[in-house]
Amino acid sequence: MSNSIKKEDDLKHLKPLTSPFEEEMMLNMGPQHPSTHGVLNFLVVTDGEVMHQARPNIGYLHRGIEKLAEMTPYTGFMPYMDRVDYLAAMFANQAFAMAVERLAGIEVPERAEYLRVIACELNRIASHLIATGALGLDLGAITPFLHWIREREFINDLMEELCGARLTYNYMRIGGVYADIPSGLPDKILRFLDHFEPIVDEYNRLLTNNEIFVRRLADVAVITPIDAVNFGLVGPNLRGSGIEIDLRKILGYSAYPNFDFEVPLGKGFRGTQGDCYDRYMVRMLEMKESCKIIRQAIENLPAGEHRAKVKRKLKVKENEFYSRIESARGEMGVYLISDGTDKPYRLKIKTGSFTAMSIVEKISQGLMIADLVALIGSLDIVAPEVDR
Amino acid sequence: MVSAMENAVNAKSHLPVFQYFKNIYLLVVSILEGMAVTMSYLFRRPITIQYPYKMEESIDTVLPPQFRGILEVDLPYCIACLRCANTCPIDCIAIDLEKNAETKERFITRFDIDISKCMFCGLCVEGCSTGAIHHTKIFSGTSHYIENLVLEFVDTPVRPFKKPKSMEDIPFDKSGKIAKNKLKDFFSPPEFVIDHRKGEKYTRRVR
Amino acid sequence: MKELADRLFLMIFNIEPANSPYLALWYALIIFLASFILLNFAALFAGITSFVERRIAARIQSRIGPNLVGPQGIIQWLADGIKLFLKEDLVPKDADKILFRFAPYFVFTGLFGAFVALPFGYGIIAADLNIGIYYILAFTSLVVLGIIMGGWSSNSKWALFGALRSAAQIISYEIPTGLSLMIVIMLAGSLSTQSIIMAQGGWPWEWFVFHSPFTLVGFFIFFTSSLAEGNRVPFDLPEAESELVSGYNTEYSGLRFLIFPMAEWANMWVVGALVTLTYLGGWQVPGVSLEAIQSSLLLILIGIAIFCIKSLAVVFIIIQLRWTLPRVRVDQMAFVCWTYFVPISLLSLIGTMIWMLIFPWETIIGTVIRIVMFGIGAGVTIWYLLRIRYNYITDKPRFERFKEAPQWYPPWKMP
Repeated sequence: MSNSIKKEDDLKHLKPLTSPFEEEMMLNMGPQHPSTHGVLNFLVVTDGEVMHQARPNIGYLHRGIEKLAEMTPYTGFMPYMDRVDYLAAMFANQAFAMAVERLAGIEVPERAEYLRVIACELNRIASHLIATGALGLDLGAITPFLHWIREREFINDLMEELCGARLTYNYMRIGGVYADIPSGLPDKILRFLDHFEPIVDEYNRLLTNNEIFVRRLADVAVITPIDAVNFGLVGPNLRGSGIEIDLRKILGYSAYPNFDFEVPLGKGFRGTQGDCYDRYMVRMLEMKESCKIIRQAIENLPAGEHRAKVKRKLKVKENEFYSRIESARGEMGVYLISDGTDKPYRLKIKTGSFTAMSIVEKISQGLMIADLVALIGSLDIVAPEVDR
Repeated sequence: MVSAMENAVNAKSHLPVFQYFKNIYLLVVSILEGMAVTMSYLFRRPITIQYPYKMEESIDTVLPPQFRGILEVDLPYCIACLRCANTCPIDCIAIDLEKNAETKERFITRFDIDISKCMFCGLCVEGCSTGAIHHTKIFSGTSHYIENLVLEFVDTPVRPFKKPKSMEDIPFDKSGKIAKNKLKDFFSPPEFVIDHRKGEKYTRRVR
Repeated sequence: MKELADRLFLMIFNIEPANSPYLALWYALIIFLASFILLNFAALFAGITSFVERRIAARIQSRIGPNLVGPQGIIQWLADGIKLFLKEDLVPKDADKILFRFAPYFVFTGLFGAFVALPFGYGIIAADLNIGIYYILAFTSLVVLGIIMGGWSSNSKWALFGALRSAAQIISYEIPTGLSLMIVIMLAGSLSTQSIIMAQGGWPWEWFVFHSPFTLVGFFIFFTSSLAEGNRVPFDLPEAESELVSGYNTEYSGLRFLIFPMAEWANMWVVGALVTLTYLGGWQVPGVSLEAIQSSLLLILIGIAIFCIKSLAVVFIIIQLRWTLPRVRVDQMAFVCWTYFVPISLLSLIGTMIWMLIFPWETIIGTVIRIVMFGIGAGVTIWYLLRIRYNYITDKPRFERFKEAPQWYPPWKMP
């Protein structure tokens, strides 16, 4: 009974969308649309080019990963975590591994922590490459995207050497990492970084400083700091609005306290603080910071074990824990309840894209259709991460 | 080219007329800068690897040793501990053991890996104590028939491998010959016959 | 064209054309031949340019591009064409079927009509109309009619958006195009395409583009607004694929779809030829007087080659711009037009008028100014080339250390 009432309420809520005013028109943007970054649907009410409302409609990529966790052993669940966010699989790995390690009281060797940092930061660069490149692609610049894809391909090659797969890494294990870093790889990563850093400058010449690109993003879809906090934005989107929250600094998890790096903030680089260009610039600057972290981590890589001894059938006593890390899309949290068996009682994944979706409806009022595309691109929404 | 940071500082606090011409200047210069970048790429090496038409080196040497390709079982070294089947998160490995009633000997009668389900996570390989199950460098496994994607490694029932006491790494073959053999008739339709061992209802695939 | 036909008639039949009773028939045959050649030129140019553009785009993006159909993929465009021929010609259920079917023809006719007045060399022109430029401007406007028809009749919201954007764009950008062409018309004193070329010279400082600072500005405005009229990046709003799926041609398929991109590529030649003939000296051969060109067949052929090279250079820049720039927003498109292009082109029109009075073309000071302007243009080009070199050199050692392969890979090296 309650269910049916709820449904009617939902319909009432949707009614102004499906029967717009006389001069308005309803557009279905997606699920098959070139710039929705996966399978998303936006119900857009427009008057000509100007949008009056844009409502995200999610759930097309729901795979029930949280439910799957309840019937998979802790040790076997890591591959599923790869699929939460396929552009930054390493972070999901780490969030889950950290939660289980904390619950089971496993000490992770320092070398493993350093390897995790290297892998995560490489993955952060790869993810930001896609985010910034796809933003350019949404604005019609195809070449910059392909240049970034090329650099990401190099990172994929490095990742393949590190963990054997290019996208769904499954690199981390509970209590460490899957394998030690191959002997020639640190040098190769450094050579890649040497090549990559000037390419970022070249990319700035090609796209970032391009006046058309700047005008498309500056002063568009401004998210004020208050809005950003109220809607629970995380990660680069939050920092784009000028709020300095970076879990790597605040929590200092893993080996991050050992490294010296800065947290780039949006400060109205070419327009207002918190506009699309700021979010873009924060990602561009973060990539350079990641390069710094990787260099330090490789330089100070400690010797020792890469993996702690963990029982094959891991049983965790009754407890609960919420572990959070700074993923490429902001705070990624894994809330884990264990009940003494070798399977989690409940697993809840909190992701950055999901909260980013919530602000679209508010910010998009009065924007143009082309700006909606820029907004989605600058929020760096990844559809599987929204739906899990 | 001025950096974005400098522009941010300089962009405001100008007269509108000055801003008008500055916009034109910025537009023209930034477009020329962008064109200089794209033009320079006409003289730079493309990174395309023309797989499979023009490869400078074979794909096996390009792929790193850790590469997680299609699974393969070196059956003579399998000790039938069922660890791989148990760790697999999606149960794509199926192993049957039969016991001879007279001699009390165990036989592996079935070792199937459904690579249409497999997600190449490598957990089974990690658990294997002899290294009998391992990844190959084969990654292309398209088939017209999904039944063909079940690799059956047991042709005739085999005895499980007896682990020697001083366990050393066994020099098993990692080149992927076994899996390649299994993948030979990938594109031919599978044939089924009635499996009389199990009953009239069951069918068995003929290789 | 009439002269050429008469001369050919005299050459082949050895009869004075005016005396022959079959002259009308001969003219009809020549007209048919000329249009046949032009039609094939337009279609072949569109096809081959599509392939060349893909190869250039690929190299710009560190790729190789189509290289499997035929040697080095040279007949890829033919394969694509055949593929589209064989596709089913779908008409949406609720579409306005007549308009939907007719729209591509409007696009094609509007585009092809422009070729009639475009010259290739001295006397090599289908019809040397005395209102040539005016005719081209008027006829290419048919293209937008076709686009609006296609967008409206598709009964798709995305297509409608594309069509409306196209309408707004053409209305805006016709004005700067016309104004910047007025500069040339004023300088040449004629609307005929051939006369405009004849008013210029072979050397770069005899081109209209370097006549004064105002014509230099006019050249850029004309080039940019031609891009806008041809729906090329950064003004490809009507078919903005990341916003409007595919814009006005979303619902088209098969041969009818083929006509839209074909018209776009053929339009590139129109833009290139128009820019060349108005501002870049057309088929004029450097250091050769007009009379010498008229009398020699070899010089006419050299003139054709020069014209084609100039046009293709412009086409290359259009292609390169497409693969460099992002797209402007629809309000910015109108904003740029009305606050920058229209006033500046008007200003440069008036400026050119005054300039013509103060520094006439033939005087020494006029020549000196032209050479100075050419120096400025050359300076910008040299700066541009140095930037290319800088971009090439910056990453070279690091790339070679990382990939362990030389970076040098010129465009003529085939993969």
